[in-house]
Amino acid sequence: MRNIRLIARLDIKGPNLIKGVHLEGLRIIGDPQLYTSRYYQQGIDEILYMDTVASLYQRNNLAEIVSLASRDVFVPITVGGGIRSLEDATHILRAGADKVAINTAVIKDPTLITNIARRFGSQCMVLSVEAKRRGPESWEAYTDNGREPTGRLVLDWVKEAVERGAGEILLTSVDQEGTRKGYDVELVSAVTAAVSVPVIASGGMGTIAHVLDVVQRGKADAVAVADVLHYDRMSVVGIRDEISKAGIPTRKICQL
Amino acid sequence: MNTSSIDPQLKVQQKEVRYCTKCVVSNQRPRIQFDSEGVCNACRFAERKYGNEIDWKARERELEQLLDKHRSKDGSYDVVVPASGGKDSIYVSRELKEKWGMHPLTVTLAPFLYTDVGYRNFQNFIKAGFDNLFFNPNGQLHRKLSYLGFELMGDPWQPFGYGVYNYPFHVAVKHGIKLVFFGENGEAEYGGNAKNDDIPGHSLEDFADFFYKSTPLDTLLAEGLRRGLISEAEAKGASHFYRLPPYEEVRKAGSSLYFYSYFNKWVPQENYYYAKEHTAFEANPDGRSEGTYSKYASLDDKTDGFHYWMMFIKFGLGRTTQDAAHEIRDGHITREEGVALVKRYDGEFPKLYFKEFIDYIGIDEEKFWSIVDKYRAPHLWRKENGEWKLRQAVWMDEAERKKDYEEYSSNRPA
Repeated sequence: MRNIRLIARLDIKGPNLIKGVHLEGLRIIGDPQLYTSRYYQQGIDEILYMDTVASLYQRNNLAEIVSLASRDVFVPITVGGGIRSLEDATHILRAGADKVAINTAVIKDPTLITNIARRFGSQCMVLSVEAKRRGPESWEAYTDNGREPTGRLVLDWVKEAVERGAGEILLTSVDQEGTRKGYDVELVSAVTAAVSVPVIASGGMGTIAHVLDVVQRGKADAVAVADVLHYDRMSVVGIRDEISKAGIPTRKICQL
Repeated sequence: MNTSSIDPQLKVQQKEVRYCTKCVVSNQRPRIQFDSEGVCNACRFAERKYGNEIDWKARERELEQLLDKHRSKDGSYDVVVPASGGKDSIYVSRELKEKWGMHPLTVTLAPFLYTDVGYRNFQNFIKAGFDNLFFNPNGQLHRKLSYLGFELMGDPWQPFGYGVYNYPFHVAVKHGIKLVFFGENGEAEYGGNAKNDDIPGHSLEDFADFFYKSTPLDTLLAEGLRRGLISEAEAKGASHFYRLPPYEEVRKAGSSLYFYSYFNKWVPQENYYYAKEHTAFEANPDGRSEGTYSKYASLDDKTDGFHYWMMFIKFGLGRTTQDAAHEIRDGHITREEGVALVKRYDGEFPKLYFKEFIDYIGIDEEKFWSIVDKYRAPHLWRKENGEWKLRQAVWMDEAERKKDYEEYSSNRPA
């Protein structure tokens, strides 16, 4: 079994780290740089910045936060939110991001997936999916921070996106996000069975058991964690220790 | 234009639209006040609310004293809380019960047409531990009044408004309960008459004046009778819950209206987090609600969209404007973001429940549009290639708005 990656997800609006529930609400948590450094020092495997309202407000302005972070954070940084073109992707990668995560723009124009994958490699093109449950074994993809239904079924969409060149999937459950009630394991399981690329499970982490479940049953390759870290309910070190003890392989961290 | 409407609010509308320089609301909103710097009274109130001017600790002590005075010792009801089961009523009811040890009797006026999520939220609210009285007004008369409200005032919501504000007072008087706790003082939070911003509630006279002087139930009933839409018996039997109890009775019972927002900083977004934390409250399962970007407010009635949409038609201010203006004042979003949201979503037609809505009030599509068009004031609307366009919008620049206004003024019949 490969190492399971722990990813700190930071939703950003303007200069602030924010945290919603079901991708709704803009409660300000604090300065994203402080939180990023803290998670980095605690040994996080990757950082994920999402300008959650970029599409909603039709703009794009994470470059500054990314460029500041990339000076003293030496783990992969993924950036999503408001990336609408190859130029936007180029801009954010130059600012220091390692990968881009795109939802709204590739729903509108799926050829953008291929264009970005061709230019920067598939490993750089993360498909971001906001999934809402529609019924048993059925989920619909949403855009604009869980606001706009697209009519596309998640399972069809991820298969198409991977064929077009998406190298990784950031899979956010709108139903579970911000609730601390556990990942939508069925969703993750259905997506990991449908595609061969790595899948990041996002939305719902509240306990260690939730992580174990989504990795063991859902076959997630990585887990995104937000609420429990931002509200200091758990630490990165604590999560890593606990899941290692349960037999899940993670990156070995040298304690400083 | 508007000659057939009995809503006097429309007659005092200023023709040149001016927007608050801090938020996105305009001088078209009834009763709103702007100061010499072009800032609306809701923004000024918010500055005091979030600044140091209001001593929230002192306000909390005031609340404590008030509740100490009225808290029942034998577990009988001591406060009436109008509640829909939405985030705001969850917050007020639960705080009163859990934090302050009160014994709330929650009261609910049934929506015109429940949404599934609204009904689940209502049920889950009760299950969270509250006693509730649920009133359903006569279904025939209620829908006829809704139709008359729509045609005569451009607002199908009118009869719900009568009931939702007045029914709680009947319950209070009947059971000898001294406190009636509403959530927010809308006049302060959204802009309106600022005279009561710094007192705990409205007097009954102000309450009636703000909400019903311009739109009395009797006018609707009379018009319904004149048209033969409402029978004598129906009019006579109209629930007294549509009206305030006689002032004398209310005074004798000692029941008074309070706003929780007077005692406690009112932040709708925080009420959402609170509702999610403590109850099984659900946000809109369809994503955002039509006509706005938000997912957590005004979810329970299929006709709500038409109340907000008619606001957009009459005042050029729709549901997005209302949500964005509040969030700007709360510091959640910037004015620029608010303007972008208004441009994108305000005035979106509530198509999801359109058919059910017109069936409910008993008209066809043609009739619907002919009523709507009566409410398009010429200073706010022009027809371009058969399509209605909003004039003097917040997302236009100053020059474009001015041009709109001048074009309107020069075409106005002398």
